[in-house]
Amino acid sequence: MSWLDGRLLSALVFLPVAGAVFLALTRRESVGLQRTIGLAVSAGVFVLSLALLPGFRATAEMQFVEQRAWIPAYGISYHVGVDGLSLWLVILTTFLTPLCLLGSWTSIETRVREFGVLMLLLEAGMVGVFVALDLFLFYVFWEAMLIPMYFLIGIWGHERRIYAAVKFFLYTFAGSVLMLVAFIVLYRAAGRRTFDIETLAAAPVAPELQVWLFAACALAFAIKVPMWPFHTWLPDAHVEAPTAGSVILAGVLLKMGGYGFLRLAMPLFPDAALRFAPLIGLLAVVGIVYGALVSLVQPDLKKLVAYSSVSHLGFVMLGIAALSTTSVVGAVYQMLNHGISTGALFFLVGMLYDRRHTRSISEFGGLKTVMPWYAAVFLLICLSSIAVPGFNGFVGEFLILIGSWRFDPRLVVVATLGVVLAAGYVLWMVKRVLYGEVTNPKNASLPDLTPREHAVLLPLAGLALFMGVASPLFTRSIEPAANRLVRHVQEKARANRPRTAAAPVPASLASDVAPSGAVVPPVPPAPPEVPR
Amino acid sequence: MSGVLDLRPLAPAAILAITGVAVLLAQAFTPKGRPAPSAALSLAGLAGALGSVWLLARGARGANTGGSVVADDFSLFFHALLLAIGILVVLLSPSYLRATGIDRGEYYALLLFSIVGMLGLVSCLDLVSIFVALEIMSIALYGMAGMHRARIESQESAFKYFLTGAFSSAFFLYGVALVYGVTGSTGLERISRSLGALSPESSTVAVLGAGFLVVGFGFKVASVPFHMWAPDVYEGAPTTVTALMSAGVKAAAFGALLRVFLHGLPSLAGEWKPLLAVLAILTMIGGNLGALAQTNIKRMLAWSSVAHAGYLLTALVAAPATATEAVLFYLVAYAAVNLGGFGALAALARGGREPLSLSDVAGLADRRPALAAALTVFLISLTGVPVSAGFVGKFYLFTAAVSGGWVVLAVVGGLMSAVSAYYYLRVVVQMYMREPLADDDWGRVTPGSALALAVSVAVVLGLGVYPAPVLALARRAAMALL
Repeated sequence: MSWLDGRLLSALVFLPVAGAVFLALTRRESVGLQRTIGLAVSAGVFVLSLALLPGFRATAEMQFVEQRAWIPAYGISYHVGVDGLSLWLVILTTFLTPLCLLGSWTSIETRVREFGVLMLLLEAGMVGVFVALDLFLFYVFWEAMLIPMYFLIGIWGHERRIYAAVKFFLYTFAGSVLMLVAFIVLYRAAGRRTFDIETLAAAPVAPELQVWLFAACALAFAIKVPMWPFHTWLPDAHVEAPTAGSVILAGVLLKMGGYGFLRLAMPLFPDAALRFAPLIGLLAVVGIVYGALVSLVQPDLKKLVAYSSVSHLGFVMLGIAALSTTSVVGAVYQMLNHGISTGALFFLVGMLYDRRHTRSISEFGGLKTVMPWYAAVFLLICLSSIAVPGFNGFVGEFLILIGSWRFDPRLVVVATLGVVLAAGYVLWMVKRVLYGEVTNPKNASLPDLTPREHAVLLPLAGLALFMGVASPLFTRSIEPAANRLVRHVQEKARANRPRTAAAPVPASLASDVAPSGAVVPPVPPAPPEVPR
Repeated sequence: MSGVLDLRPLAPAAILAITGVAVLLAQAFTPKGRPAPSAALSLAGLAGALGSVWLLARGARGANTGGSVVADDFSLFFHALLLAIGILVVLLSPSYLRATGIDRGEYYALLLFSIVGMLGLVSCLDLVSIFVALEIMSIALYGMAGMHRARIESQESAFKYFLTGAFSSAFFLYGVALVYGVTGSTGLERISRSLGALSPESSTVAVLGAGFLVVGFGFKVASVPFHMWAPDVYEGAPTTVTALMSAGVKAAAFGALLRVFLHGLPSLAGEWKPLLAVLAILTMIGGNLGALAQTNIKRMLAWSSVAHAGYLLTALVAAPATATEAVLFYLVAYAAVNLGGFGALAALARGGREPLSLSDVAGLADRRPALAAALTVFLISLTGVPVSAGFVGKFYLFTAAVSGGWVVLAVVGGLMSAVSAYYYLRVVVQMYMREPLADDDWGRVTPGSALALAVSVAVVLGLGVYPAPVLALARRAAMALL
């Protein structure tokens, strides 16, 4: 077992890559084979990822760690591992990918081979982001993942796909480059000659410098989440992407922003994180209300679901900004919930689109009588999405709101308003789509869910219920890591609070001639901290 | 060996020069109607030169010819790079020359002579011999740029290149003269020593000299504001020549620049570093904004080559070893990418036409999936997205800039990379997301071209995944400069 433990995460990253290479070598005509290979590989990766569960201990430290020298001259290593913050996100990724491939079985008809290759490469990149413990490695996965997503939107998307694909790429790429510069500055300033996240998190960094570095990382993550007002790429990308792309975007890619805050921005720059927390909390709550209000008026089903993500992710960001153990656990849990419920919603919208080639709410009505199974699953997922007790969404939002009360009660009050609004826009949508008379003759003979569609939706619906009643199974493993993060940030920030404990000038930075145009502020050598 | 001139460092260049003459003779002695074996001869010569580099690296590292040409790790690194570039260009050439009707032996001879100049640029220790090497390289390239006599753009390209080349040579020579006036020497070793102990008033003259050298090199590497020739010349020259210019000339010019400034003028670093930093910022911004407006792919790549000169310059503010190492690595990555990019265009040439406008490559992914995928890899590497050599290279450059205390260079470089994503992706959009406009009547990719493109892709992806070995070589080469 231990032999596998040290290689399991690498297998999860590189098995999809190997599958993609294999798939790329198949003949263009053998479409059925390509679909089967894609599904088989991703399903295999999912089963393999389940092997993480029995060996995972509910402690705060990194597990399944693997570290190898990669670019030793710069202290860069291939270093991967999971803790409670990343474990379930990894499994969410491996879980959603085969469902996406199964869900696209018939709706993707052109360039099936390329579709499979890109989906598998995307999976590798996403898992890589969640398991990377080295800044350089993290950045490589973070950026490499953009390319498959860009092609997925641009090739198989809807009418405005090219615009949406380019906008998606430029937005996220532009947001990320400054993060890379921040990583490099941190590498020099920390003076540890390493890009290892845990080592850097232990190194002292001057609070003034932290502000800049945090801002650069936060920009990248805020765009990814997306936080209001950096969300404008999201509706375009989500709406124009093919169903599988929307599911992955909503289900996994958006989580990377929140995860980035938890894994990098907060522990690396604790002073700045605490200083920025009120602003992040405020933007999060603005996002909750804004996303909900915009969802309320959407005539387009897919757009409605897309904007609801802005609102849901606002909750996640509120939990992260509040930075209490409870709120962070809630945020991580809510990321999983959102992945499942919004992923399922995009599948459901996609299934309607496959049948009717429209996404306009006004085209539908009374589907409950025509497609009873569809209506049942739809309703169930909607209830999960609006956090009805007994469903997963309730647990997440409740933990976030409770955990954030001490952070800022006013924000919690306004955020709770968002819960009410969510019930409003979702239930109104349900009413217009599912209930009433079948007014549109085109809907009169729509076929209900096929067995394949059942196979896609039932795992998601089942999980939405299961995670609602059996939440301790999940939160128990998240909690130690969340607790460690919160303690780390507070202790490190406290240690820095008397300005005297500022970082000494790293020899590496001081040795070079710093011209007047340099941005790095020279840090005065500090006297040792006075013991209290 | 004392007292006898050690000629071993000249071996690679000599082999190429002799091969160049042989190519010309072979053409003269080939019966009419039969093709001369120019490409094969050139390949043999380049391979022989590469072999001699290997022998030098094993047996005569550090040897120098009368203190003016040296075979240290730095020159050997560049020798290997430049000869590899030469081999790839020769592989790409036959099909392109046939398709455009300029299949003549002089092309290969000039190609070899220009590489002789490049080899000299990176291995000479004396400003005068560097100048001679610069001229050998440039004059051969003027001829190659104008190879396509029937096309007015090709003539324009050659003439423009010649005029600006002469202009920049004058600047360079003036710089050499001023430095000589102050130090009494043209040897980099002695220049470095006498500049170390200089009175303030003569140091002004030396700084002026260094400034003129910056201008001279600025023209050759196409840095803003000395870049205006690049788009027209790159566009007008035959595409394989453009590939050589963008990969080889840039590498050789940067090699000489590194040696002259880091080895010869380190004591003036306080003056030329800010100057180069400002040039880097101007070049990154100017090059990328210029590229943004292009609809012709060759012109876009020309502007992008300006932009990349800017990225390369950012590293020079760092400590010499760090700077050299980063630049050397990036030059390898950049050479592979540009040979691949221009090579992909050249490989499709047929009947005097080649894909130039964006609509020419529309829907290419459907008909030529492998070629489109290769071109995508190159464009992604130019953008600087992992997993590619371009990303790792930019990472090293920006790390060097930050280590030199110039975070602003890394910030501008990063933002400009984001801008560049727009125009590079435009080509990808055309290839993958648009329907083809006309029937695909582009030429078939010959085995030679396919090999060259495959090698480029392998280098780009290989360095993107595992850069450590090349980085170690670059580091060793950098040590030779100190």
